[in-house]
Amino acid sequence: MRGETGQGMGDEAELVRKLAAGDRAAFEAVYRKHNAAMVRFATGIVKSRATAEEVTQDAWVSVLKSIGGFEGRSSLAGWMFTIVLNKARTRAGRDGRAVSFDGAGEDDNLAAAFDGRGRWKDMPELWEEITAERIIAGRSVLQHVNAAIETLPPAQRSVLVLRGQQGLDAAEVCAMLGITEGNMRVLLHRARLAVRGALDALA
Amino acid sequence: MLSCKEVAQRASAMIDGELGAWDTLQMRMHLAMCKGCERFIGQVRVTRDLTKAAGEAEDLHDVDDLRISAILSQLHDGKQQGG
Ligand SMILES: [Zn+2]
Repeated sequence: MRGETGQGMGDEAELVRKLAAGDRAAFEAVYRKHNAAMVRFATGIVKSRATAEEVTQDAWVSVLKSIGGFEGRSSLAGWMFTIVLNKARTRAGRDGRAVSFDGAGEDDNLAAAFDGRGRWKDMPELWEEITAERIIAGRSVLQHVNAAIETLPPAQRSVLVLRGQQGLDAAEVCAMLGITEGNMRVLLHRARLAVRGALDALA
Repeated sequence: MLSCKEVAQRASAMIDGELGAWDTLQMRMHLAMCKGCERFIGQVRVTRDLTKAAGEAEDLHDVDDLRISAILSQLHDGKQQGG
């Protein structure tokens, strides 16, 4: 099964060839790898999850229709997420929603954690119980993580999905979202702090 | 000497290996003496790893089969119409 979802350059070229040839198994593998993340990403841009699912579905059709024109100048994932972004942006525009990824007005959740001299008010916990396999309150820890990501404001959510989950290059993420690398790092950190807060509540 | 607050602000940069030599040294000095920050950095590292794992663990549901079929059928329609 090595390379089925396109790790590395050679595998990615092979995957693109299969997608262009209409290989259903190859498409299923790509869909499985990216669809949930695409919906999570699009939900930050359009007004509802249902709309995000529609937009993502529409994006997949575009991906397959235009895969022949993919030239490998970006990663395949970056190219596909750009298609999702464009579809979501268009839809948001039609619904009168402004889309910006500068993160203005998005803050981190640690402001109250320190005293006046910048020391911890309460000692952070040792997270001995927080592991991927654990089920807490009926959901796996990983499901709790994705639920927390879905509550993030758009800029943080986009950066965490693209960079922290999909592993896109920093430069690719910045170009897509129209932000600087410094801005991206701040957003990534804030997003992690928010997810950390959700996990800490389970600990 | 960095404060705990400043250490927390640099936590992601540290675990992502993006700190310069001077900042790294400052962080190490603080962490050697501060259990709270050591734990916090550990939490941020776990958060990073679980976030990545959560993006990889998603199973295909039955509804996805229908969606995949819908996508592929639209594709064929497009081709028949010469699009
Ligand atoms: Zn400290």
